[in-house]
Amino acid sequence: MKTLDPASPYFIDFPRRVRELQAEMARAGVDVYLGSRLRTLSWLLDVFCPWRSFVVVPAEGPPAAFTFVIDAARVADETWLPEDRVFGFAPMGGQDQIELIAEFIKDLLKGRKGRVGIESGMSNYLPEGNLTHYEYERFRDALAPSELLNAHDLVDRLSLVKDAGTIARFREASRIVDVGHAAVFDALRNGGWKGLTETEIAGLAALAMRRAGSEWEWSFTGGNEIASGYRTGLTGGACTPASRRELRAGEPLMVDIHAMFMLGLGDHSHNYLIAPATDRQLWHARNFTDIVALTLETYRAGISPSELAERMIGFAEGRGFADYMVPGFEHGIGLMGDEWRIGLNDGPFPYWTDPDHRYRESEVLICAMQYACPEENIGFRYENPIVIRKDGCEHLSKFPLGVDVVS
Amino acid sequence: MSTFQYLTEEWRAEAERRLKAELTPDRMNRITSSMSNVYLDCPGGGSKYLLFRFADGALAELALGAGEPPDAEFHITGAYDVFARISRAELGAQKALMTGQLKLKGNMIKALKLAAIADRLNKVLAGIPAAY
Repeated sequence: MKTLDPASPYFIDFPRRVRELQAEMARAGVDVYLGSRLRTLSWLLDVFCPWRSFVVVPAEGPPAAFTFVIDAARVADETWLPEDRVFGFAPMGGQDQIELIAEFIKDLLKGRKGRVGIESGMSNYLPEGNLTHYEYERFRDALAPSELLNAHDLVDRLSLVKDAGTIARFREASRIVDVGHAAVFDALRNGGWKGLTETEIAGLAALAMRRAGSEWEWSFTGGNEIASGYRTGLTGGACTPASRRELRAGEPLMVDIHAMFMLGLGDHSHNYLIAPATDRQLWHARNFTDIVALTLETYRAGISPSELAERMIGFAEGRGFADYMVPGFEHGIGLMGDEWRIGLNDGPFPYWTDPDHRYRESEVLICAMQYACPEENIGFRYENPIVIRKDGCEHLSKFPLGVDVVS
Repeated sequence: MSTFQYLTEEWRAEAERRLKAELTPDRMNRITSSMSNVYLDCPGGGSKYLLFRFADGALAELALGAGEPPDAEFHITGAYDVFARISRAELGAQKALMTGQLKLKGNMIKALKLAAIADRLNKVLAGIPAAY
């Protein structure tokens, strides 16, 4: 186990976080919380859990973590929980995840029955980690006559606004991403781009970021996303795992790289034109940088995603490039595993961003914008983690906004 | 050579003698731990337990009893017949666990560290000439 150091800028008061969840559980009549989402595991355990894992939060006292036995000792080594609160499950009598966890939960319940909060729902984010139908049925049977109820909103409410330690981790991850961008820029300029492929750019950015302290290129979209040529302008395209495509003169290049620092996530995109750039390409580039700058000026506490989108699309319409803007300007973000909707699950479409969510101070999100003109084989992407402030926002990646022409 | 009736006081005493003689504290990696084997469906009905307690690698207690086992760091539960087959070397303990014929209660992380030690212990018990 690791020791939590309140003097560290990256300190998160996990015991307090657990107590706050337990208070919410008491208010909701939840006796035990069974978390399975990756975001919940990161948020409570402070350790990356790449294998199927669970966290059991009792009404009082420390939680217990359960993960695939091959990774349990590493999880126990890295989490703040004491070793005897980390369990490995395995295909052995009494040790499979259902029986092991169900027995653990029953021992926590008075009379071995009660109300057990679970995490169910849907997400576009593949590793979300909601209970599967099969897991739900098995836990329901193993915990009978306890009642299982969907309780993820308890964690979601508490994790919406970020504490100083979390923001500091995001800030450091963004600093690392900026190191990656500087390395890419150095590699591209003065003809260095010749012969480079998208995958090579992804790799050299990864090396630079790891040297600067990144743990991995955390995004499930293939790590670092690199697109060149027509791939930058795919309609509505905001996901481009690097391909083996070689860079070519006269084409755009989009570099969207990711770093992780103590589960805080860096995610910033920078764009290039490989010389020679045409006037038309430069017109697209100005449109893009202008709307990004305006978007960053507009974010503040109290605004909603739909209000911001209306203003930005209005700006694009006035400048004659609305046809090229994907009408979404952000996605949610939190510690590793929390990468999807904005707000709580109370919008018009369940488990999608609530367009009327009112941003609060110290919420963190990814300002994410996609400009795509497929008929001209050109597009740009902007991503940057931002912290919502009272009168604006702090964008964590500081790499200068622009579309650089490299020759 | 005498034959001992499995899970009787005579068998337990012989098991204790052999464990102390054959498993030195160093062979037991100087562990401090406890484990209860819980035998269900014993001949004549009911259940029995066999409690092993090690302190710094030395066998501190080997207790045989009926009914609910005392507290221990690990509990291994299974049918009498399954344990008997393991003692006769007809079935491996690992296989019995992995096929669900035995159930382990306790922390798997620590259990993994003790798996080789448990095998040594079972090997000693398997050497006792026994009638089942």
